[in-house]
Amino acid sequence: MKLLRTLILRPLRRDPLRTALTILSVALGVAVVVAIDLAGDAATGSFRSSMETLGGKTDLRILANGGIDEHWIAALAALPFNARWSPVVEGQAAISGVGSVPLYGVDLAGASGIIVPDGLARRLGLTDKSALPVTVAGRAQEFHVGKIIDSAAEFIALDIADAQQALGRFGKLDRIDVTVGPAENFAAVEDAIRRTLPSSYLMQKPGARNEENQRMLRAFRWNLRVLSYISLVVGAFLIYNTISISVVRRRAEIGILRAIGAARSTILALFLAEALLFGIAGAALGVVLGRALAGATVGLIADTVNALYTTSRPTPVALTSAEAWLGIFTGAAVALFSALAPAREAMQVAPTEAMSRGAHEHRARLRWRRGLVWSAGFAVVAAAASQAEQISGYPIGGYAAALFSIAAAAMAAPAVVIAVNRGTRAVARRRVESLLAARSLTASLSRTAVVVAALATAIAMMASVGIMVGSFRETVALWLDTQLRADLYVRSAGPAATAEVHPPLASEVPPILAAVAGVAAVDVFHGLEFHYRGERATLGAGNLEVVRRYGRLRFLPGQNRDAILRSLPGQDRAIVSEPFANKHNVHAGDRLTIPIGERNVNLTIAGIYFEYSSSQGYVIVDNSTLLKYLPNQPATNAAVYLERGADAARIQREIQLRTAAYGVTVAPNATLRRGAIAIFDRTFAITWALEAVAIVVAMLGAANSLLALVLDRRRELGLLRYLGASARQVSRMILTEAAFLGAMALLLGLALGFALSLVLVFVVNKQSFGWTIQFHPPLGLLAGAFLLVWCVTVVAGLYPARVAARLNPIDVIHEE
Amino acid sequence: MVESRLELRAVSKTYRNGGQPVEVLHEVSLAAAAGTVTALLGRSGCGKTTLLNLAGAMDFPTSGEVLIDGRATASLSEPELTALRRNRVGFVFQFFQLLPTLTVLENVELPLLLSGTRNSLDTARDRLRWVGLEEKSAAMPYQLSGGQMQRAAIARALVNSPDLLIADEPTGNLDTASGDQVLALIHEAASRFGATVLIATHSAEAAAIAGTRIMLRDGRVQSIERR
Repeated sequence: MKLLRTLILRPLRRDPLRTALTILSVALGVAVVVAIDLAGDAATGSFRSSMETLGGKTDLRILANGGIDEHWIAALAALPFNARWSPVVEGQAAISGVGSVPLYGVDLAGASGIIVPDGLARRLGLTDKSALPVTVAGRAQEFHVGKIIDSAAEFIALDIADAQQALGRFGKLDRIDVTVGPAENFAAVEDAIRRTLPSSYLMQKPGARNEENQRMLRAFRWNLRVLSYISLVVGAFLIYNTISISVVRRRAEIGILRAIGAARSTILALFLAEALLFGIAGAALGVVLGRALAGATVGLIADTVNALYTTSRPTPVALTSAEAWLGIFTGAAVALFSALAPAREAMQVAPTEAMSRGAHEHRARLRWRRGLVWSAGFAVVAAAASQAEQISGYPIGGYAAALFSIAAAAMAAPAVVIAVNRGTRAVARRRVESLLAARSLTASLSRTAVVVAALATAIAMMASVGIMVGSFRETVALWLDTQLRADLYVRSAGPAATAEVHPPLASEVPPILAAVAGVAAVDVFHGLEFHYRGERATLGAGNLEVVRRYGRLRFLPGQNRDAILRSLPGQDRAIVSEPFANKHNVHAGDRLTIPIGERNVNLTIAGIYFEYSSSQGYVIVDNSTLLKYLPNQPATNAAVYLERGADAARIQREIQLRTAAYGVTVAPNATLRRGAIAIFDRTFAITWALEAVAIVVAMLGAANSLLALVLDRRRELGLLRYLGASARQVSRMILTEAAFLGAMALLLGLALGFALSLVLVFVVNKQSFGWTIQFHPPLGLLAGAFLLVWCVTVVAGLYPARVAARLNPIDVIHEE
Repeated sequence: MVESRLELRAVSKTYRNGGQPVEVLHEVSLAAAAGTVTALLGRSGCGKTTLLNLAGAMDFPTSGEVLIDGRATASLSEPELTALRRNRVGFVFQFFQLLPTLTVLENVELPLLLSGTRNSLDTARDRLRWVGLEEKSAAMPYQLSGGQMQRAAIARALVNSPDLLIADEPTGNLDTASGDQVLALIHEAASRFGATVLIATHSAEAAAIAGTRIMLRDGRVQSIERR
């Protein structure tokens, strides 16, 4: 303990700034991991429908796409069991000043009036018997408040018959909630229900929906989590660097300790204890920071979940003590792991060794070739790992490839430092500051290489994610060009579109659209949720002849678009989106069994088309096929193609006028595209935020290392003043070192980033989400980002440069 | 009368140690002309190194004046001091103080590079040749012996043809043969390049090359011996 205090704690106290920088680096790394985890939990924590608040405990839920015919209630009620069968219809009600809220039709035994939660009632100033004007299923309607209940959720509920009338869904139920009596044999009841209802109906236990949502979000959350580990990886490099510096600076002290009888294990324990101190202090701070960051992040994640996956209501961010301890444990473990190599090196210092740093660094310089061989080995392993198939839906091979690529780059860092030094020798000699800076970095190769590797990792992450997002964005933009060919898009004026909500379009609307002068064709689309092999997906139906004539749907290479689309109308044939095909490993020509209404329909896959709006996937049939099995299924939206030269703005106005009574929104093509790109950009906003933190951590590392270099070489810096260097020259030398460090890190980071981007685009994304992204690096953006990073690295050198310039040469030259 | 290139007039220097003033030098006066060697003798801690730092304009007296060619160092601005150190003063240290990251030639060339002098490489080679280390130009300092390192340090100190060469225990870390070589070079610096040499030493051999020997004791001049 005393040794720890004198050999480790005292020097740490002497360098408070460096100590603080190291702790802050770990803290930021841990904070990001904690924040993403907490925010992810909060953003996806509540898929509980507000209906559950209303309906109480349910044992089983019966669902069917296209709705359940209500006559099945009577059939179920006739079963000889003590069970409650609660029919439910669901819709959306648009309330002025509030937006859309869920509308539930439940069995209220004919009670009149609607049930409103007290929060909503207060917001709208409603009391008993108040009138509430709403728009439901495109029609303006008025309800009267029957009861105000205690609930934080926002919804309205009314008797099922009134709801069916309001929604125009006569005879149809969205689901039946089943509560089985306590004395009944649950399995027997379940079996009887299964035998009574059509086999295409789905029975879900409570929590199944939630599990399904969590499963659906698994890849999204995993990728976010992995991204959040970047800062921790960068932090690990910095811990390694700090402990390495600590060991190098104290080699003589270690030698003396060993000479007076300290065991190797004592030395190892001392340096691991130093790392542990950094780890625990940083992680504790990180947990607190992470809790604060989570609050700011939850909205971003919730937006993405709602836009791309399913409706979720964010819950408050909750940090449990278990999560806090896990955060601290993670930080401590990463710190210990990072310190293992330098601590082992310290342990091996011989008692007689009084090796100077110069000789130690000289030995490091001789090892760069060995590092290069290791680098090549890791690169080969990375390439092999990238070829591995996904494991249980996780792109484990992809992650391993990324990790080995980082290892390969780290091992190549010394060679890069030497190569840059050799390559810039002629230029560096032109100014004494650059000559000294370049030499000093090479002379401190072991630590320069670690800083370069840390900074390069952060830069590589930025570059690779930048290339991935840029490529994805370009791919989506190109896809939107081919997918969104119609001039106007019409949908029910319900809630903002989310992935799983398909509000119906009033049946009067499609004929009105077709009758407007200047309209060439209308593609009426039906969207329904269905389950395939336990996974949720969307069953869509459209007028595929219109799509064939006007659209530009792109199919996988080798598939003939025209022939495929011609083969669908009237047939049990479907096209499936690429993510669906990849997720379920199906191919053109395969047969799918899809539940449609009361039938399980066998559909032959006619083709696979590119699609980027849902990783869950689409199965698309012609309207004629869907309506054969679900004759009264309402459309959900319509795409309107105009005649050549028609005035789109005039036609939009006319459609809005003619459909005013049916509550629809009409959006021109450009608006829809802008909206799609806006959703895309919002989705990836958090990615950029995570990268920014990784870069900040790396910058702290650069500042920390430069400061260490300055403090370590203060005698040399003092000597320069004796030899006639001005304070400004010394300062410029340190800034030049920062610039060199930045340039080397950019060089290595660019190479690593390119490799990682290939892994992200072609392995991780493909295996996680199933879509093919075309490679479109955003060169301008990357160039700007690199310039910024380089400038920030130079800025990180400002304080160390100031310290160097202010050193008193007399003090430092006679310090020995 | 020969004009003094370096002159110390009643120079005192006081440091603070734990808040307490410690007088390291007390009213020391000396004068040294161009081409002469002056040795500072005395025990460790008697103020030799402090005096050298004052003479080399690295530090300033608490009272009294240090004059180089008649100008008080304390009156010089920071750029003037930098220029003075670059062009007119050369330092040699006990522990050589070569930069481990530069080759021997680059170490010698460094003062010229810092002052932006042209043809620095030729001058540096010339000085290396003079100290007999031309074949070690490309070597790194750790590849040299102690004597070779100190010879390289002398070449570096004289690369600017300084008016003042300040050497702090230049042979303190060398064997006798190497020490003799180094002392011969220092002596030649005065006789050949006309430098005013101020050398702090414990060694009788080093003192032997000096025309003036000043014995310091507890920061005061105990005796001055001229040959």
